[in-house]
Amino acid sequence: MENIYQPHLAQIVDIQQETLDVKTFKLKFKDPSLQDSFDYKPGQFVEFSVPQEGEATFCISNSPTRKTTIDCSVKKMGKVTQALHELDIGDMVGIRGPYGNGFPLNELKGKNLLFVAGGIGLAPLRSLINYCLDNRADFKAITIVNGARTSKDLVYKTEYEAWKNAKGTQLHLTVDCQENNWTCMVGVVPKILEQIQPACKDSVAIVCGPPIMIKFTLPVLLKLGFCPEAIITTLEMKMKCGLGKCGRCNIGNLYVCKDGPVFSFAQLKRLNYEL
Amino acid sequence: MIRIFKKEEFNKAVVSWLGEFQVIGPKRIGNKGLFYEPIEAMEDLYLGPGITVEPMKKFFLIPSEYLNSSSVPEKNKRLIVGANPCEARGICLLDKVFDSEYKDKFYIDNRQRTTIVGLSCIAADEHCFCTSLGGDPTDTRGMDALLFDQQDNFVVEIITEKGSQLFGALGKELEADEKKEWQKNKAKKKGLLKKKINAPGSLGHIFENEYWKEVSAGCLSCGICTYLCPTCHCFDLVDDERKKLRCYDSCAFSDFTLETSGHNPRPTKKERYRQRVFHKFDYFKTNFGENLCVGCGRCIRSCPVKIDISQVIANAPI
Repeated sequence: MENIYQPHLAQIVDIQQETLDVKTFKLKFKDPSLQDSFDYKPGQFVEFSVPQEGEATFCISNSPTRKTTIDCSVKKMGKVTQALHELDIGDMVGIRGPYGNGFPLNELKGKNLLFVAGGIGLAPLRSLINYCLDNRADFKAITIVNGARTSKDLVYKTEYEAWKNAKGTQLHLTVDCQENNWTCMVGVVPKILEQIQPACKDSVAIVCGPPIMIKFTLPVLLKLGFCPEAIITTLEMKMKCGLGKCGRCNIGNLYVCKDGPVFSFAQLKRLNYEL
Repeated sequence: MIRIFKKEEFNKAVVSWLGEFQVIGPKRIGNKGLFYEPIEAMEDLYLGPGITVEPMKKFFLIPSEYLNSSSVPEKNKRLIVGANPCEARGICLLDKVFDSEYKDKFYIDNRQRTTIVGLSCIAADEHCFCTSLGGDPTDTRGMDALLFDQQDNFVVEIITEKGSQLFGALGKELEADEKKEWQKNKAKKKGLLKKKINAPGSLGHIFENEYWKEVSAGCLSCGICTYLCPTCHCFDLVDDERKKLRCYDSCAFSDFTLETSGHNPRPTKKERYRQRVFHKFDYFKTNFGENLCVGCGRCIRSCPVKIDISQVIANAPI
C-alpha cells in the first residue's frame, strides 16, 4: 500500500525574487516519470518540505497548461519558509500532493470572471488566470484587480504585460498610497472595485488576499449584485497532513485541505465561518 | 458461533497463544491502575471488572511513530485480550478516518495484524455512558470474538474468521440450558449502565451560544481528555532528522491552529472546547453518520477540573 505521507524528492530549478520577502521556487521532481504524470487543477496545493525543518502548505501558482515546473511562491515568515529562502537552485526539497478541490472549472465555464487579489493572494489566482487565458474560448470577459500595499509588494510583475494584452482581458493594478512614478490606480482593493463597477451578470468573482481585504471586499461585491454563490475564495488555514485526518484545518464539518481550499461565500456562511 | 469452555482451558489457550502472538491485555500496574500491556504470563492478564486508564488506540494509532516508507513495518501478529466493547467501537470509528478516502497504511497494517478478543463488561462505573451513544456491554462491533464471564466458564461469541481460528476448537457448543443462561446473562448486562443521557442530534444552531464559554471556563487546556479518548485522533507531523514523525496532538492546545502570521482561528478555550464537542457530536456525524464518542467516560474520570462531556451535551441549550 502506498505511503500517503511520503514526500517525493524535487529539485529547485529556478528561483525568482518577487518582492523583498517573497520568492517563487520552480521545482521539478527528481524522478522524470513523476514529473510527467503529475497533474493538478488550478487552486490545488502541495505539502512542501525542507528536510529536517518540516512541512508547509503552498498553492501551486502556475497553470497546469504550463507545467514544465511546479511553481510555489513563498513569503518568508516562519521556520520552514525561512529555511526555504536559504535554498539555492539545485537544492532538493520534498513535495507531496496535489491536494484539495481546486477551482470549480466547470462552473466557471461560459462566465465573466472577476479576479480580485491582494498581495501574495495573487498566487493561486495566477494559476487560474493563465489557465483561463490558455483556454480563452471557454470564458467571457476577464477582469483582474490586483492590489498591494506598495508597488514593491506586487508579485508576478513579469506576467502583467501578457495579461494586459490578452483578448477580452482587463488588468487593474493598484497600490494603497500614491508613489512617485506610479501610473496605475491608487487605493485599497474594495475602493477600486467601487470605482470600476464590474458587471455582476453572468459573472463569478474569485477573491484571494489578506483577511482584512476579503472582509471589506465582500460587502462591495454583494452591493455590486454578486450573490454569495458567485463569490469564491481560496482559504489559508494551518494545515499539516493535507488529507483531512490531522484535525486542525476544519471549518465546521469540512476540512480546508480536503474539501477546500476553494469555497464559495454561500458555503462559508452555512459553516458559521467568520471573516 | 457461540462456544463455552472452562476458565482453566482458556488460560491454557492464552499460554499457547503467547508463542504465536504478541499477547496484549489489561494488566494492573502498581497503584496506577489498569493498562493495556504486553502479557508475558497468564498472571499478568486481568479479566475482571474495571476499565484501563488509556484506551487501546495506542496499538493502532501509535502515540509517536515514523511515517517513512523505509521504516520497516512490524509484521508480528498481535492479539488483544480483554478489551471492553467500547474500545472496539472506538476502533471502528477510527477506521472511518484512517481506512477511508486516503488510506493510512501504518494504521491499516496495525489493524490487519491484530486480533481483538473482547470481554463483555462485568461492571460499569458512574462515568460510563455507552448505552446513551448506541453501544452496550455486549456490543460485538469491531471484535473478532467477545468473551462472557459465566461463573467457572467463559462463553465466547465468535464474530470473524480471525476469532474462529482462535476459538473454533476450544470447548464445545452451548447446550440449550447453557444458552439460556448466557442469554439471561447477556440481557442483564445491558442494565449495568446507570447513567443515561440524551445525545443531541446536531449542534449547529448553538455554535455562537455563550454556553461554550461557560462550560470551557474551567478548562486548563491540558489535553488529557484527547490523549485518553479512544476516538480522538488529531496528530502533528514533525521532521526529526530526515524522518517524518507523527505524534498525538490535541485541539485543546492553543498552538494547535496557531498560524505563522499570529492569527489563530481558535484563540480561546471557548473555541477550542467547542471544537472538541462539535467534532464529536456534530461534524463527525455529518460526515460519517455516527457520534465520535463511545461513552467510555475516560475524559470525565481523568479531567483535573471535572469537566463532564456527558453533562455538557446533555445540558446543551438546543
